Amino acid sequence: MGEFLKSTRFKVLLAFLAFLVGIMIYSVTKGGYSLSGASFINTITKPFRFASNSISMKLEKNADRISNADAYYEENLELKRQIGELNKKLTEYDDLLAEVEELRKLVVIKEEHPDSVFSQSAEVMGYIANDPFKGFTIDRGYADGIEPYSPVITPEGIVGIVIEVSQHSSTVRTLLSPDLSIAAICSSTNTDFGIVEGSVLAAENSRTKLIHLDKKHGIKEGDLMITSGSSGLFPKDYAIGTVTEVGIEANGLSAYAEIEPAADISRLRSVFVIMDFEGKDGEEEKEDTDEAENTP
Amino acid sequence: MRLKTPREKRILYFKTTLRWILYYFIIFSSFVIMTSGSWTKPILLVPVALLIAVNNDLMASAYTGAFCGFLIDIACGRLLGFNAVILTIFCVAATLVFELYLRKKFINYMVIISSASFLQCWLDYKFFYEIWGYADVERIFSSVTLKVWLYTVISTVILYILFKIINNLLMPKEHLTIEEVIRTS
Repeated sequence: MGEFLKSTRFKVLLAFLAFLVGIMIYSVTKGGYSLSGASFINTITKPFRFASNSISMKLEKNADRISNADAYYEENLELKRQIGELNKKLTEYDDLLAEVEELRKLVVIKEEHPDSVFSQSAEVMGYIANDPFKGFTIDRGYADGIEPYSPVITPEGIVGIVIEVSQHSSTVRTLLSPDLSIAAICSSTNTDFGIVEGSVLAAENSRTKLIHLDKKHGIKEGDLMITSGSSGLFPKDYAIGTVTEVGIEANGLSAYAEIEPAADISRLRSVFVIMDFEGKDGEEEKEDTDEAENTP
Repeated sequence: MRLKTPREKRILYFKTTLRWILYYFIIFSSFVIMTSGSWTKPILLVPVALLIAVNNDLMASAYTGAFCGFLIDIACGRLLGFNAVILTIFCVAATLVFELYLRKKFINYMVIISSASFLQCWLDYKFFYEIWGYADVERIFSSVTLKVWLYTVISTVILYILFKIINNLLMPKEHLTIEEVIRTS
C-alpha cells in the first residue's frame, strides 16, 4: 500500500482526479453552458442518439402492444361503444338545438307581429332546377294548412309567396321573380313608396328591384325597405331588404332602387309561412264596406 | 327472336326485368341529382329517356318519355305535362329515326340527343320566360338555357357509356338458326 501511495501511477491518478475536479469547478463557473468538448460530443452524437432513441421507443411500443394486446383490444371496443353513444347523443343534441333555434326565431317573429298566424317551420326540400329566380319547394302542404298565395318569410324578412300547394309540399316563388310584386315603403323616410319586383338582371346577383319610385324620393343606399301591407297579399312591416343602388329609369319618368333581400334566398334551409294576418286579401276593406252597407 | 328452351325464356325474363330495374334506378338517380342544390344542372332525364327509347320498342319508349317528362316538370317546377308531351314526341321520333334511317352509333346518338335537348331547352325558355316579355329576357337564354344545354350534352357521354354497358350485358340477342343466317346473308 505504502509503495502504491509513493508510486508514479498514484501521482498520475491524483493528478487526473484533480483535473476532473478542475473541469467540474470550471463547468460550474460556466453558468449553465456546457464545455466546448461536451458540446462537440453532443453535436456529433445527436443524430445517432435520435435514431437509437426512436428505435428504442418503437421497440418499447411494440413490446407493450404485444404484452398488452388483449387489454388494448378490450379498451378499444369499449371506447368505440362510447364514441357510438356520444355520436348518437350529439346528433340528438344537434336536432334539439336546431329545433330550439327554429322555435326561438318563431317566438321573435310572433312577438314582433302578434296579429299574424304562422305555420310550423317548413324545411326547404330543394330549389327548382335551373330557375334563375331561385324558386323552391317546402315540406308543408295543404295538409298543414298552407294555402296558395300565402307569404313566406324567414326571421330576416320576406322571401316570397306560395304559388302551388300539394298535400305535403308547396312551391314558393321568390321576390327575385318578375312575377311577384310587393308594395313597399322605406322604413327610414316612411314616405317613399314603390313596388318591389324582380328583374332578370338583378336576379343574376340575387337582388330585386324597387320600381315606380317618385323621382323626388329621399331613399339612399343602406335604407331598409319594408312591406306596406296595402295590397292585402303581404302583411305590414316585414323587412324586404336594403337599398344597394339608386337611379333613374331609362324612360326618365320614375326612379328605381336595387334591393338586396334581407334573407339570403339562395341559401335557405327553413322558412315560415304566414297563414293569416290582419288585412289579408283586403279583409278590412270588405268588413268596412259590409258595415257601411248595414248602416241605415 | 327465336326462343328455344324454357331455360332461355327464363334467362330472357330475368335479364329484361333487371335491365328495366337498372333503367328506372338511373331515372330515379337523375331526378335526385336534378333536384339537389341551387346551381345550374343538366337536364339528365332528356338523354336518359332518349337512350332508353332508342333501344326499346315504340310503346315502351313513349311511356318512358312521358314518365321522364313528368319528372322534369316536377324538378323544374313547370306546368305538369309540358315536358311529358315534348319528351314523348321526342322519344317516339327518335325510336322511329333509329329504326328506319340511322345506325346505332355514338355520333348518331349524340346528334339526336343534342338536337332533342336543345329543342327542349329552347321550348322551355320560349314558354316560361320569353313569352312573358320580361326585360333583358335574352340574358336567361345565354346565361341559363345554353349552359344547361351544354351540361346536358356533356353528361350524355357518361350516360351513353352507362347504357351501353347495361344493354351489352342485359339486352336480349337475336337467336337465328343456321338456315336463317344463310338465308339472311
